[in-house]
Amino acid sequence: MSNTPNMIETKSVTKKVNTSEGSLQILHPISFEVKPGETIAIIGASGSGKSTLLGLLAGLDEVSGGEIFLDGEPLHRMDEEARARLRGEKVGFIFQSFMLVQSLTALENIMLPAEIAGLDDPKGRANKILKQVGLEHRAHHFPNQLSGGEQQRVAIARAFITQPKILFADEPTGNLDSANSEKVEDLLFAMNEDLQTTLVLVTHDDELAKRCQRQLRMTAGELVEVSPQLKVVEGSMQAGSKQ
Amino acid sequence: MQASNSMATSLAWRLFKHEARRGELTIILLAIVLSVTSVLALSLFSERLQQALTDRSAEFIAADSQLRSSSPVDQQWIAEAQERGLSTAFQLSARSMAFAGDNLSLSDLRAVDSQYPLKGQIKLSDIPFGQASVTDQAPQSGEAWIDSRLFQLLGVDIGDNIDVGDATLQISKILNEIPDGGFSVFDTEPMILMSSDDIAATNIAGPGSRVTYKYYFAGDSGDINDYYDWLRPQLDREIHRWQSIEDDDSPIGRSVARAEEYFLLASLLAIILAAVSIAVAAQRFSQRHFDPVAVMKTLGASKQLVRKIYLIQICFITALGIVLGVIIGYTLQELVVSLLADSVPIALDTWYWRPLGIAVFTGITCALLFSLYPLLQLFSVPPLRVLRKDIDATLSSRALQFLFSGSAVFLLMLFYSGDLLISSILFASGIVLVALLLGMTFLLIMLGRKLGSGGMGSWTLAWARIRRRAMGNSVQLISFAITIMLLLVVLVMRNDMIKQWRDQLPEGTPNYFIANITESQKDGLSTQFDDFNIEYDKFFPVVRGRFVSINDEKIRTDITKEGEEVADEGRQGLGREANLTWSTELQKGNEITDGEWLGDWQPDPSNSEQVIPLSIVNDLAENLGIKMGDELTFNVGSEVITATVTSMRSVDWQTLQPNFFFVLHPKAMENFSPTYITSFHLDESRKSEISMLMAPFASITLFDVDARIDQLREIIGQVSMAVEFILVLVLIAGGLVLIAQVQASMDERLQELAILRTLGLKGRRIRFSVINEFIIIGVVAGLMAALANEFSLYMLQSRVFQMPPSLHMEYWAIAPIAGAIVVGILGAFGCWRLLSLNTSALLRKMV
Repeated sequence: MSNTPNMIETKSVTKKVNTSEGSLQILHPISFEVKPGETIAIIGASGSGKSTLLGLLAGLDEVSGGEIFLDGEPLHRMDEEARARLRGEKVGFIFQSFMLVQSLTALENIMLPAEIAGLDDPKGRANKILKQVGLEHRAHHFPNQLSGGEQQRVAIARAFITQPKILFADEPTGNLDSANSEKVEDLLFAMNEDLQTTLVLVTHDDELAKRCQRQLRMTAGELVEVSPQLKVVEGSMQAGSKQ
Repeated sequence: MQASNSMATSLAWRLFKHEARRGELTIILLAIVLSVTSVLALSLFSERLQQALTDRSAEFIAADSQLRSSSPVDQQWIAEAQERGLSTAFQLSARSMAFAGDNLSLSDLRAVDSQYPLKGQIKLSDIPFGQASVTDQAPQSGEAWIDSRLFQLLGVDIGDNIDVGDATLQISKILNEIPDGGFSVFDTEPMILMSSDDIAATNIAGPGSRVTYKYYFAGDSGDINDYYDWLRPQLDREIHRWQSIEDDDSPIGRSVARAEEYFLLASLLAIILAAVSIAVAAQRFSQRHFDPVAVMKTLGASKQLVRKIYLIQICFITALGIVLGVIIGYTLQELVVSLLADSVPIALDTWYWRPLGIAVFTGITCALLFSLYPLLQLFSVPPLRVLRKDIDATLSSRALQFLFSGSAVFLLMLFYSGDLLISSILFASGIVLVALLLGMTFLLIMLGRKLGSGGMGSWTLAWARIRRRAMGNSVQLISFAITIMLLLVVLVMRNDMIKQWRDQLPEGTPNYFIANITESQKDGLSTQFDDFNIEYDKFFPVVRGRFVSINDEKIRTDITKEGEEVADEGRQGLGREANLTWSTELQKGNEITDGEWLGDWQPDPSNSEQVIPLSIVNDLAENLGIKMGDELTFNVGSEVITATVTSMRSVDWQTLQPNFFFVLHPKAMENFSPTYITSFHLDESRKSEISMLMAPFASITLFDVDARIDQLREIIGQVSMAVEFILVLVLIAGGLVLIAQVQASMDERLQELAILRTLGLKGRRIRFSVINEFIIIGVVAGLMAALANEFSLYMLQSRVFQMPPSLHMEYWAIAPIAGAIVVGILGAFGCWRLLSLNTSALLRKMV
């Protein structure tokens, strides 16, 4: 066990939703830790609760019970505004459906998080990173003028422009063909390595998951299977140290 | 904070710029442009037209306002008006005998100062009964300008002298017309216009004389109102009467007033149309930005930042919409004004700031008020939507939305019209319509459940979609129906109003009136008319009497007091002398509103105490507090007549036929020798026959009212044309709203179309299913609109426009058919645009 502070720490996190048939528990108590710079994959079938967990970890949703600490900050005690501030400062996102703002150009989409975070020279930063993802010639194109692969590369650039401490990726290759998937994966892992960002990746693709240092498998709201680096502690999981 | 502001502005500007360039703001922009354009064009046009018509109306009272008095007023009052920057003029009028040698005639004497008239013109003729020409002069001291008829009656010529009271004046001009000469077949005295400097010399204005002093005021309406506010406390209701253009109760005045009501109504409807289109467009705008807002929040944007970005963006859109709306509205209005310039009296070179202010205010209010709820929804979109697209805004309350939009519409209408009645009527109609439509939607959904299952035919798909999109369709149905209803109201009101105006002056309207016909001349005149093959009206017997008491209670001599005007100038005379007629036949255009017409009453020769029936005009009865069964007493010469009110009548004063406040049973008048009046129509081409026609009846007084009729026709024609223009403008506005609505609903149908297309359903079948869905919605919306239209029209016509309400059955067929065709075509067009995209483009559009 290393003494490095955890980037993510969850303690008995649960999520319930109200339905017409009463309260439904989507996530059963989950506890685990992620060290800075680690790459982990949350894998599982559709409806297993992996996106719900991602939403909670990223502060997009509120827990029903338990605690989540993100870079030492208690997400579970924060209101929406404080969580937004935290996301702006420390978190990057990549989504399956790219989620680019259709009315902004590629360059402007990339600038967006830097502008929101109030960083200096967002345009200069965006141009630089756009070059890194090989799309400088597409800077002034709108998302609907780009291919799926290009859009995801723009999304990756947008995710890294603020040099976040942690990156959440939800099925980043889910909408792409295999050739584009590979390119996007390579880019994602390369940039992640360069910036030593902690990566939490949600996927149902085992091959993609294997590129991460650790894998967590969600089944029906529970983490029932773990990668060799993880060990089960009292019915939930405790993250082990990085190899 | 400053950095955040500049960032928000910069991002809002970029979003605005790109979205505008890519046509994504077209609908909301169009809606704002539409509201500003229609309000500006309507208000500007209406303001300019009203100004022109007001100027014209002012000509009928020779000023903007007039103070009548039965005694001279304090000169300080006049000085005060002048100090306030008002122009003033003076006229004294009296009935007086005019003498020329051995001849004499009663005359309508008007003594005026050099400023008279402040509005309108004096017209002279070169020869008696000759063509009129305008003069800008007024009679000088010692001069008399006399009516053509006086030349005949007094046997005088230009240059001769006439005696008026104690003064001798020289006849210098032939008077044709003065602006406030009035028109009444009962005002039979020919006019003499003289200088007010000669009043003292005539000695006609001594104590006890029946003289009216008129003081004229012209100037800025605000100044006049201020002056009136200052003057009012000093006025004595028994002596003074203030008259302004708004009090013009003549047929022309009423036509203009009704047209003004119509302009107001049309403008209100244009505002509602604009509001509906903005609401639809703002909703669509908001929904399209759910994802970007979720993304921004995910990337760390605070609620405050998101609010700033979108409020600034809405401000940019509003500003652009207002600028475009002002340019288009002004151009459109200018274009129409220049096209109509020859035929409509429009103040061409005047610019009015008020309409511009109203238009800009409307644009801002509409844009902000109707975007507010959709924006609040937008701000409430949770960031989690980036992971779960099914999560919408957390704020969702139809009731709140309807309440909010409803209050906003009502307040806007109230602000704009300042008329609680019109606003309430339209708003209540809207509520009734919405309630009906919700019920109808429910029925449709039930029907859809039956018809929309078990197949993939275009009608089955259409019904199935109606059932599935129940809430969306109900909103759409309501907005379609409101739009169609508003268009129907404007269209039908215009038709009814113009028809009524035209009916007022049908072909063959009498253009000559004859008065002072004696009993002995009656038969001869009838024969003469028959010989000349001229159709003439009934001979109405007339006797002048003084109305002295109600149920033995004496009434005031001057019943027309301040603030209680009972009649227009043409029919005035009540309080001095009433023109009494008698007949057993109800006159054309009269309707019994209470009691029974006296036609069937039979005198009982054995009962000398028998009450004689009388019919009175209901408005007058109301003003004087006369009720059914009251006994009215008149002095006719030395005789006293008492009659009992057995019926009340409504009278169409807008016709040019003689009308009477009091009609008695012939029994009451059998001891009097009346004179008669009648009227006839003579074509322009036969005008030369008039002297031959009238030659045997020298003592009869003939009035040629062609000029009046032409004037009335001209004004009605002009106002009708203006109304047509406004109708076209509102129709265009309504059309645009329908397009916006269909466009917005197409977005909602996109997903389903894409799925059906992906599943391999033929474009043709999908297209027909959408068209059929729109046809069903169009038919129902049209039907509901026809129903609501009847309700609105009934309320508007009976409560606001003072017109007899009527049913409009034809629109029960026209509205659903037109609804089906228009909405169907728009749906087809929207659908064609979408289905022309290939499946992948369609799917991509959904992302």
